[in-house]
Amino acid sequence: MQYFPRITLWVLFTVIVFGLSAQSHRKPGLTDNTPTVFAFTNAQIIVSADVQYKDATMIVRDGWIEDVGSDITIPADAWITDMTGKTIYPGFIDIYTNLGLPNAEQIAERDEKFPNGNHHWNPQVRSFYDGQSDYTHCEKQSTDLRSQGFVAAHIVPPTGVFRGYGSLVKLADDVSSQQILATGLTQNISFRMSRELGRGYPTSAMGAIALIRQCFYDAQWYKGAKQAWQKAPATVEGYEFNPALDALSNSMDKDIPFVFETEDEQWFLRAINVANEFGIQPVIKGSGYEYRRVEAIKQANIPIILPLNFPDKHGTDKPEKALNISLEDLRHWYLAPENPAILTSHNIPFALTSYGMEDAKQFHKNLRKAVTRGLPKNEALRALTQTPSQLLNIYDRYGSLEKGKSACFFIASGNIFEEDSFIEQVWVQGEKHVVKENHSYLAGTWNVEIDDFGIAKMDIHNKDKGWEVNWRFEDEEPVKVSDFALKNQRISFTIEGDSLREGMRLSAFAGKDNLSGSAATDSQHFLSWIAQRSAAVSESEQQEGINNENEAATKDQKSYPAIPMLYPSMEYGIKEKPTQKSHILIRNATIWTQGPEDKLEDSDMLVEHGKIVRIGQNLEAPEGAHVIEAQGRHLTPGLIDPHLHTSIAGGVNETGDAITPETRITDVIDANNVWIYRLLAGGLTTGNLFHGSANPIGGQSAIFKMRWGSLAHELILENTKPGLKFALGENVKRSSDRYPDTRMGTREIIKDRFLAALQYEKEKKAAEESNNDKPFRKNLQLEAILEVLHGERLAHVHAYRQDEMLMMMRLAEKFDFTIASFEHTVEGYKIADELREHGAAAVIWTDWSSFKMEAYDAIHQNAKLLLDAGVHTSLHSDNTQLATRMNWEAGKVLKSGVSEIQAMNLITLYPAQILQIDDRVGSLEPGKDADFVLWNGHPLSAFTTADQTWIEGRLYFDRKQDQILQEDVIEQRNFLIQRIQSK
Amino acid sequence: MMPRFSPSITLLTITIYVVSIAFPVHSQVPASRQAVPVLLSGGTIHTQAQGVIQNGMLLLEDGKISGMGTEIQVPENAVKIDISGKQVYPALIHSRNLMGLSEINAVPVTSDFAELGNINPNVRAEVAFHSASTHIGIAAAAGIGTIVSTPTSGIISGLSAAMQTDGWTWDQMTLKASTGLIVNWPDMLENENLDKQLTELHDAFDNARRYHHARKSSDAHPVDVRWEAMRAVFEGEMPVFIHANEISQIQAAISWAEREEITMVLTGARDAGYLASQLAQKNIPVVITPVIGGPARQWEHYGAAYALPAKLHNAGVEFCIAGDFGAASAYRLPFHAASAVAFGLPEDEALKALTLYPARILGLDTMIGSIEPGKDATLIITDGTPLEFATKIEKVFIQGKNIDLENKHRQLYNLYRQKVKQQDNPGENY
Repeated sequence: MQYFPRITLWVLFTVIVFGLSAQSHRKPGLTDNTPTVFAFTNAQIIVSADVQYKDATMIVRDGWIEDVGSDITIPADAWITDMTGKTIYPGFIDIYTNLGLPNAEQIAERDEKFPNGNHHWNPQVRSFYDGQSDYTHCEKQSTDLRSQGFVAAHIVPPTGVFRGYGSLVKLADDVSSQQILATGLTQNISFRMSRELGRGYPTSAMGAIALIRQCFYDAQWYKGAKQAWQKAPATVEGYEFNPALDALSNSMDKDIPFVFETEDEQWFLRAINVANEFGIQPVIKGSGYEYRRVEAIKQANIPIILPLNFPDKHGTDKPEKALNISLEDLRHWYLAPENPAILTSHNIPFALTSYGMEDAKQFHKNLRKAVTRGLPKNEALRALTQTPSQLLNIYDRYGSLEKGKSACFFIASGNIFEEDSFIEQVWVQGEKHVVKENHSYLAGTWNVEIDDFGIAKMDIHNKDKGWEVNWRFEDEEPVKVSDFALKNQRISFTIEGDSLREGMRLSAFAGKDNLSGSAATDSQHFLSWIAQRSAAVSESEQQEGINNENEAATKDQKSYPAIPMLYPSMEYGIKEKPTQKSHILIRNATIWTQGPEDKLEDSDMLVEHGKIVRIGQNLEAPEGAHVIEAQGRHLTPGLIDPHLHTSIAGGVNETGDAITPETRITDVIDANNVWIYRLLAGGLTTGNLFHGSANPIGGQSAIFKMRWGSLAHELILENTKPGLKFALGENVKRSSDRYPDTRMGTREIIKDRFLAALQYEKEKKAAEESNNDKPFRKNLQLEAILEVLHGERLAHVHAYRQDEMLMMMRLAEKFDFTIASFEHTVEGYKIADELREHGAAAVIWTDWSSFKMEAYDAIHQNAKLLLDAGVHTSLHSDNTQLATRMNWEAGKVLKSGVSEIQAMNLITLYPAQILQIDDRVGSLEPGKDADFVLWNGHPLSAFTTADQTWIEGRLYFDRKQDQILQEDVIEQRNFLIQRIQSK
Repeated sequence: MMPRFSPSITLLTITIYVVSIAFPVHSQVPASRQAVPVLLSGGTIHTQAQGVIQNGMLLLEDGKISGMGTEIQVPENAVKIDISGKQVYPALIHSRNLMGLSEINAVPVTSDFAELGNINPNVRAEVAFHSASTHIGIAAAAGIGTIVSTPTSGIISGLSAAMQTDGWTWDQMTLKASTGLIVNWPDMLENENLDKQLTELHDAFDNARRYHHARKSSDAHPVDVRWEAMRAVFEGEMPVFIHANEISQIQAAISWAEREEITMVLTGARDAGYLASQLAQKNIPVVITPVIGGPARQWEHYGAAYALPAKLHNAGVEFCIAGDFGAASAYRLPFHAASAVAFGLPEDEALKALTLYPARILGLDTMIGSIEPGKDATLIITDGTPLEFATKIEKVFIQGKNIDLENKHRQLYNLYRQKVKQQDNPGENY
């Protein structure tokens, strides 16, 4: 059980796993003493994914499996059912459903009537909520699931970020409370807010993660505080009973699984990060996208709950519509059914669920699709029985047909993972539910005799899709049979007339191997008929079966040609990470060093293992070096954009509060963004990702390199000084119902938080020094602000007008720290000397103007004046498309009289210095990262574009390679659209 | 009673007074009508219609070009300007912009480009053109002589007007009113109201056509201001500028214009590359607005938008390049053409796409778009190609007027340079 290392014994004493129906229910009427002992004989019994018996017997007594095997004694009181030709499977567990639970709207309605009280300050935190207390039997959904072989379902509350406890219910028709088999099995978490509960904090994915993180810290604190309070109530300040934190800390203590619902493979990895931070035991409710990053997911070594809701065909009927479908979506349409097979081949454990399917009755259809695409049948079975049971810690009772386990199983007409077999009965804790009558007494070949009409042969076959009936008069061609129906044990059907005889309508009742019935011809001539069964399996069917099995396997493989894995799995994705050349020599280029050597004509640059080692003339190429002849071309450092909002998942602004320094861009970087490739094509190698400007104190920023094809965390530039976004002016006062509403108030709320952070620091120190076990509540908001006040975190302040910038500098001076940069700094030219004196950098646009009031005084000479005044200045994009052409942005600055070298500095060295990453990037100097761009002309010319973009000695963009990728994108799209249309 | 000023306030007042003399308004001082002939000699003349004339002479009289060549007759009273080593081009034409109709996007009271309702064929851009807009001077200083001020909203937005970038009032600045009827083609893909919107468009044209017929037969028919404005379309005197970006929009617009037998110009045209051969065959001119931008579809190449002009050029489509729609960004016009050069459009074609071609497409080519005798003396003098960032636009002539290139940006720049100087060298000014 290598994947379930942490299953503990807590189940025994904390969770009640109920046996048969609780005895607490009063039953009216007479006592039911019908015996409940059954022997199923001559069956193919699939005990588990790894064990099966042929011609075996299973004994069920009072809802439990008394014995199972091929050589066992049948108890005298058992009722024997002959199961020849049938297969018995362990009942499936659907490990992720919202079955019978109220939805978010209903919860919100109830919350309104009975306000939350002291549950948690945030309505999205519902870890206290025990779904089963609201569980209501849903006959339709329950029956639908059962028809697919499910016997029990894990029910997960669907509301909130912290959603509460999951329970196990059986799919039976008892009263609701009797269906509950086990409670408190899981804690459930989603990164998606239920907006029905309120539109406040958090509004973004990064806000949701920040909330989750703070809640876990709070739960840890709460546990300690509670213990201390219980010992000596008077000494503990701030402790009060909080059911949400209580439930969380209990769940952490008991080590029950925390199930994170994820939307794609990147959310999977994000969830793992959160779980690892707090040492909780995660299970991931997956998305079907796991195949895209299967290696990383394997490394996480965490079990997954996989949905089988494969994507629909995309609308490709109209050519102009087909044009709009991305390769990413097309690939997913093609590869999603292969996801389970790919995970299996990487030994990643998973359970399957019907969750997300519009019609649960389609479950087997999709399951077979997955099997067709390579999911081994026994692994499919494991994913529906053993794995879910182990994940829920209920494998001691469910999940296989071993002696002593609950009698939860289903009987199928054949191998359930193949077409045409179907489930006949589902037994839930010893109780039979008929899904589909087999009517085996009808199936087979019948010899028919009809008055006046003579002798005929009739084949009846009960298939998954319905009845299939053939009729042939002796020595004649088959005639068409229609309207075959079975009702009240009477069959009826019509035989069409032909040139030889008229048609007739027949009906009959079946006895043991014989039929007796009546018929009426089209001319209403009444006849009687009888039939004898000659074979229980129809003759035609026997032949079919053999042929099919051989063909199916080879056909399926051929019909799904493999397409290459791409990273990311989308247009312009790459098959593998570009190799880092041991040595690279660029020869005879015009080198813009942006270092002390300025611009060098006809010069060479030598790169070794991703670092620049030498710049000069006539450098010698080491053996095996990758040599680039760059005659007539220009070489510059990789461009740097210090202000971007691209590749951020789930919202750029956390607008739920005015103060959100606890949010972190690093939590939500989206590596599956084609713009990363486009930025590379524009020569950009490094970018700084910011929280938006909705909040006076926004979130924590992240510096990343355009390492296209990497995972999100691999994009982040290592060991940088962290940053925090602030914002002033129009944007922060835009929401009319949130403080602040003025520039005056903006100062006050920032100052207020600065003071709060200092107070927090005092208390923290006191707690550390006090040496008692009194726990201290960690506040992630104030921690981040404290870092700013201590100069350990760079303050980047979105600002337009001079007054607000001046205010912020004076405020910072009061608190004895320096603003690292103003962002946009539209009126920077009006306070150039003040900026210089404070030491704040100005990060600006070249020519954005007048899109709002505070941008009306923007001037194209901003950079010129700031540079001349000695202000540390950089260009920025604040716009992803703009960031693909920063060389052109710098080119525009030339118009105002800025020198070439300075203009280039504005997009290389200066942003690097402002972000304090100039030890690694920003100029071409020995010892720095080999991040560089080879341009097809003067880099500040309006006609120039990048030929090649390198990061750390790896070629990430190459114009020639780009042509090939472009053709490949078109080819792949054509292939996949053809596939969609051909089916 | 005279108020008593404290010394410091007096000083401030004086400073403001001095400053306001030096920096009177946030706009260039409009020039007066050309009174004397001007001779530009020694420059390289990029005529756009008759090749390049090295070391040429160019005579500007009464706002028109009256002579051009290497040796021409020059009136005695002509002011002679030596432009040796300089380049002369026609002033650039921006074919689609909000200039004069919008000052600050996020401040609604400064917007006058979107009239209420879906059908506004009668509203005219020139009469609302804010001649003191601070953005005009920025565009003029960048070498733009003419901007087509374009209303946009609803389905039929109104009538655009070609405006010159220098003048005291809108009527002085109007080069040509009613350059086109502006139609915004409805979204064809995800639009719940598509049928309704198409019906509105069709009905408007049906009604206007019936009105035109009635008015032609009798002047007694009362005037309907909406349909009256559209009569020039049916007379073949005014093209309809249909704004459409997505393929099915463009296709629908083309077939509609064919049925309506109207002269159509396609604007926007993001997906026009997919329909290039059709556009060429049907002689439908295209105004690309804008060139600089990302691809519309995730799978499309990063350079898809930049490559559109080259694609249309290679297919033989008549086109011109417009820049940003926002007034403050109008000045970026040449960079849009330059980016097309970076992605395959020949440089001389890119220049024509800002001068000769838009003049033709907009029906202004008897006046502007090329440097030829008889045309307006609307031209620029530079130290290089106007497409390049580093190039300086040294002089701009509009109908022979050597216009003031001062503008709000330069004024603020000069003003605040004083501030830094004061800080660094206190007392120097005294």
